[in-house]
Amino acid sequence: MNKELEKLISLHDLDVMISDLANKDISKQEKKLGLSPDSAANELQKMRDELASTIVRKNRDLYEQLAGHYGNAVVPVVNHRCSGCFTQLPTAFFTSQDKNDLVETCPSCGRFIYWCD
Amino acid sequence: MKRECFCKWNMSSKNREDAIAELIREFSFQKTTENLLQIALETRELAEPTIVHEGIAMPHCRSILVDDFMIIIGKSDSGIPWPEKTVNIIILFITPVKPSGPSEHMELIKHLAKTLRSGGAEKILSAESPSEAASILKFSYGGNHKDE
Ligand SMILES: [Zn+2]
Repeated sequence: MNKELEKLISLHDLDVMISDLANKDISKQEKKLGLSPDSAANELQKMRDELASTIVRKNRDLYEQLAGHYGNAVVPVVNHRCSGCFTQLPTAFFTSQDKNDLVETCPSCGRFIYWCD
Repeated sequence: MKRECFCKWNMSSKNREDAIAELIREFSFQKTTENLLQIALETRELAEPTIVHEGIAMPHCRSILVDDFMIIIGKSDSGIPWPEKTVNIIILFITPVKPSGPSEHMELIKHLAKTLRSGGAEKILSAESPSEAASILKFSYGGNHKDE
């Protein structure tokens, strides 16, 4: 997989983790388990920013813009469709031999897309 | 809630990083997915070791790389440094990112918190078999994914 795409996926998963820890119900349950969701979220935010700083500026800016607009900036392709907007992708996308070797975006919604295992 | 879990008994890992990798391998993902899930779980651990009871760690995250709940219970008799305290039981889970939000993820954490706090933690530490461990956590036992 393209290294930049891997970083975008990791950034997405980190953002999910941070938002989960800020979720009142999840935070309450994590505390019941003896964990400290608030300080964990602060630490994760630092690691998130560090990771983001290693992503190519153009991709990073687009990620932030998409995440702000849709709530998620990276989505898997499922059954030849972008799972963000459910648009069927052009044939050229899924006949390509080098899926995930390039950073691709959905031609319809613009989200970053990747092919699952 | 009766979710399926796998078990990995007699873990061979001697540190946290290897233990997470040893458990993720049981799910049989492709290498890239394994690596990215490893990064996500390790990052969470670096933010705060997920020790939820003496002897029990609970590495967990949600990820866009999975489309179903992935749960595995690992056991190491000799113990694994996590890294300051030693754990013998690892309850690792990865849940999917769904448009409906994190409610199912929250329900799983709630279920585990309730079960572990009501005697489940002590019970699982002395569980003698994978199926017994799964049943203590009220999961259905899906086997030792690769070996059985
Ligand atoms: Zn789309």
